[in-house]
Amino acid sequence: MKNKSWMYNPIWKILGVLIFLYVLIGGMTTPLNPGITYITPDSANAGEMVTITCKGYNTNYYTNQDNLAWLKLDSIHLLPARTVTAKDENTLEITFDLPNKFPVQTESAFGTIITYNAKDGAALRPSGLHIKKVEQGEDPAWQSSFGKSLIAPTGIRFPFRSILDETIRNTFFHVALWLSMIVLLLVGLYHAIRYLITKDMASDKMSASFNRVAIFYGILGLLTGSIWAKHTWGTWWTTDIKLNMSAIAMLIYAAYLVLRSSTFDFEKRARLSAVYSIFSFAMLIPLIFVIPRLTDSLHPGNGGNPALGGEDLDNTLRLFFYPSIIALILLGTWIATILYRWDTLEDKTMTD
Amino acid sequence: MGRILTLLNKELTVELRRKHTLAGIFLFVAIIVYILYKSFNRMVGMEWNVMIWIVLLFAGINAIAKSFTQESNDTKIYYYNLVSPSEYIIAKLIYNFIYLLIIFCVVYMGFSFFMGNPVKEFSLFAKAAVLGVFGIATVMTLISAVSGESEGGGALLMSILALPLTIPIILLLIKIGASALHLIQDSSVGQDLWMLGGIDLLLLGLTFILFNEVWKN
Repeated sequence: MKNKSWMYNPIWKILGVLIFLYVLIGGMTTPLNPGITYITPDSANAGEMVTITCKGYNTNYYTNQDNLAWLKLDSIHLLPARTVTAKDENTLEITFDLPNKFPVQTESAFGTIITYNAKDGAALRPSGLHIKKVEQGEDPAWQSSFGKSLIAPTGIRFPFRSILDETIRNTFFHVALWLSMIVLLLVGLYHAIRYLITKDMASDKMSASFNRVAIFYGILGLLTGSIWAKHTWGTWWTTDIKLNMSAIAMLIYAAYLVLRSSTFDFEKRARLSAVYSIFSFAMLIPLIFVIPRLTDSLHPGNGGNPALGGEDLDNTLRLFFYPSIIALILLGTWIATILYRWDTLEDKTMTD
Repeated sequence: MGRILTLLNKELTVELRRKHTLAGIFLFVAIIVYILYKSFNRMVGMEWNVMIWIVLLFAGINAIAKSFTQESNDTKIYYYNLVSPSEYIIAKLIYNFIYLLIIFCVVYMGFSFFMGNPVKEFSLFAKAAVLGVFGIATVMTLISAVSGESEGGGALLMSILALPLTIPIILLLIKIGASALHLIQDSSVGQDLWMLGGIDLLLLGLTFILFNEVWKN
């Protein structure tokens, strides 16, 4: 760690700020795709005519009078609506003539409601309508295609997911914070090992600085997660395994801070905190990466929920998600170097 | 090997010479078990399973905390000149492991005596206990060394450093314990045992490497 000139180089700091601004502005202002928030009634009997009111989000039903709607059972069974009337921009009244026979094996079926107009493209409510008293079999009312090609609207728009709604933007902060925390902890670990090999006090300070920023990111990760949980799961805190394992990880690293502040001899403090931080990182591996995989979790990627790489992280989200990780790592490194320089100055004034 | 045996012998001699600490630990266990018995009055199933591991954890903290803190700096330097750190840590680990295992047996007997023994699958329970006790003893031995070295150390630092690190082990123990008590049907219990063993190995390896650093003066 002789050459520290990179610390004084402003280019990567400016880059970090710029990328973060891009994520903040772009991630917050890009609109969501049109979607359907709820429909009433959400159940009907087969063989009846049913009129449902469909509440759209970010839709332009009224200004586009060419609205179309379908009830979709699977990819080759579609039921076009009999009439579609727009009440206002976000309200659509759809009437379906439900046939008696449904091509399913069960006594009830779930149909996806799809609305379409040229400006919004398609908006849908997956499994929105519950149809009861279903007879099994084919009915001529079912069509195998939309009958026209649906055109997706142009421009960048984030996917609309029911329950998530606008909070889908939290992906750029909550998920990116955790990933960059892991990276910062790895840098901290690298410097801790380096200290034990070289006994260079600078490595100790680097390790402590990176670990402190990582703890800060972890706390932010818990906070952003908590806000997200309030919206999607309805509570600030749950018994979810990942959530609690991360909280435990924070406790372990909080103990690391206590250990550092309880020892005054520089050399001894460096030695003990390096040992403890290596030990605690090792325990982090079962805590964060292994145990949550053994149990069900409400988080994406567990218990059958989709995860990163699935259809949930689509290309428009990727446009901001990956830059956000880079920006947070750069900003974290910047904060860590400031802490490092602060500590170095403090030591200098103490020895002078 | 001879030196390790000598060290073990010395630990045992010191332990037996200070009968009050030994008696203290067992009295502590007896008191905790009795408090739990009188608080719950009838403890069954999951409470029994959770409480036995928690009691093991706290008894372990009390028993192993003194492992390094009881020695004066002069004695440490004396050992430092006589034996290599790896011999020293192996002796400490073996000693603490056996010590904690005995404590666990006492806790188990106390629980069985007062609150009955709901264990249905003893071999599974015993495997989990041995692996868990080993993991907890390893964490606490190293943390005891770390907190013994630090100046502001003592029991408080020992507990805040060691307790969060033992949480993964405790959670796995509770999960395996629940299977052993037939509270849950778990087909992947073998996987959990391997996991516990894996954590133990990881901890053992790290303790072995890192103790050299703690021991240097």
